[in-house]
Amino acid sequence: MGNDMKTATVRVQRFNPDVDKKPYLDTFQVSLENNPTLLDALQLIKTTIDGSVTFRKSCRHAICGSCAMNVNGRNLLVCHQPLRKHLNNKGEVTIKPLPYLPIIKDLVVDRTAFWEQYLRVKPWLVPPPDIPEKEFRVTPEEVAALHNAETCIMCGACYSACSVVGMTKEYIGPHALLKSFLRVIDPRDTILTERLTDVSQGDGVARCHTIFNCIDACPKGLDPTRAIETLRHLSRKRQALEKERQERQKTLVMEEAKR
Amino acid sequence: MKTFWIQRISAVALIFFMTIHMIVVHYPPFHIDFSRITERMAQPLWQAIDIAFLFFVLLHALAGAYVVLTDVERFNRGKRILAGAAMVIGIFAFIYGVQTILAFGKWLAAGA
Amino acid sequence: MYKTTGFISFVLRRVSGVALVIYLFMHMWVIGSINQGPEVFNARLNMVQTPVFKVLEVALLAAVVYHGLDGIRLLIIHQFKVTDYRKSMFYAVFVVSALLVIAGGLPIIIFMLEGN
Repeated sequence: MGNDMKTATVRVQRFNPDVDKKPYLDTFQVSLENNPTLLDALQLIKTTIDGSVTFRKSCRHAICGSCAMNVNGRNLLVCHQPLRKHLNNKGEVTIKPLPYLPIIKDLVVDRTAFWEQYLRVKPWLVPPPDIPEKEFRVTPEEVAALHNAETCIMCGACYSACSVVGMTKEYIGPHALLKSFLRVIDPRDTILTERLTDVSQGDGVARCHTIFNCIDACPKGLDPTRAIETLRHLSRKRQALEKERQERQKTLVMEEAKR
Repeated sequence: MKTFWIQRISAVALIFFMTIHMIVVHYPPFHIDFSRITERMAQPLWQAIDIAFLFFVLLHALAGAYVVLTDVERFNRGKRILAGAAMVIGIFAFIYGVQTILAFGKWLAAGA
Repeated sequence: MYKTTGFISFVLRRVSGVALVIYLFMHMWVIGSINQGPEVFNARLNMVQTPVFKVLEVALLAAVVYHGLDGIRLLIIHQFKVTDYRKSMFYAVFVVSALLVIAGGLPIIIFMLEGN
């Protein structure tokens, strides 16, 4: 990968369902001046070469989760990756849509399955009925434990990297299991037993075959596999946990009432 | 999730039994002959070990095959049929296997 | 297809697993011939002690060893928080399996070539 290269060859997978039978690769030359990111390159292609190249993007700061794509066989966010870093010896890079998902057009995929599975785990917090006027009293340790899961930006990189998702869309998926894990370990959540029962069904944590593609793909460096392992362990001691949680929630509110 | 735990528990059992099996049965790897096997297989302890081994190996194999198939969306729709088939095959194979293990002792007793 | 070390180990685990299930039933068929008497048993045993089957036996050993060690790797991952070492663990399983298969397979091949 020579740094003296002036232009890069960007190969983009194209597919227009109205015209094409199969996806094909289109090749574009992009200037490496000003050290563009992969997203800059795509934008440059769209504005100066071929306006029909279609892709999702929004924030350009790796936080909205729109621009997850498959670059040289790896899922990542194209907005925070320099084009130069992904060029091979010949100065080429291949950008494809997220794998295992139906393609709508070019680099845009249908994420219906992703969101359906997400909703299945009830991703929202279910707090106790008597919500305090100010805030819940949660210890710093409890907050720190949530960290692995709460920085997820729902980009779909892990979901579409998962080999199990490639075989069956009935699997809940790493993104949703990570979210379920976030709610399960949150001391404010009240439906712990229900959550653990849901994820230990046939399509839940048992379907994970610890392939680790989700960890490798996550642009935020999260560890869905570890979350799934934790859920597996927790789902074995549901009753004890439920009791513990109920005790914990008494102090969550009581401390508040004392003030 | 039940299948998952069946796999893990039988896996642990198999690590134990498979090690015994490989060392005792296959080393040194010389010509296997009827009389060599019969001596060992006639002992009740070996029969018990082999029956337990058979049980776990069938459990692990059939549960594994079930998981491999149900991971594919199309087969997962018929997972009850698959589970039933696995159980029937398992029961018949276990009976046949136990009969086989016990047969060695019988032949030795018969002076073969 | 999303090809990583994890994916390769997953495919190898499945392929070796399915191969072992098929082998298990063939094995039961061969050994089960004892029910029909020692003559049938010895005949069937001789049938599977030809050079072709000796080579297949090495493949069988490879499948057993890899599947077993990979299973141990999974059990370790389930029990301990070691997801950060996933790549090294995969390579460790691969190297140890290769060594064990060579150690176990060579005697089979040498024994076969000597023709005892």
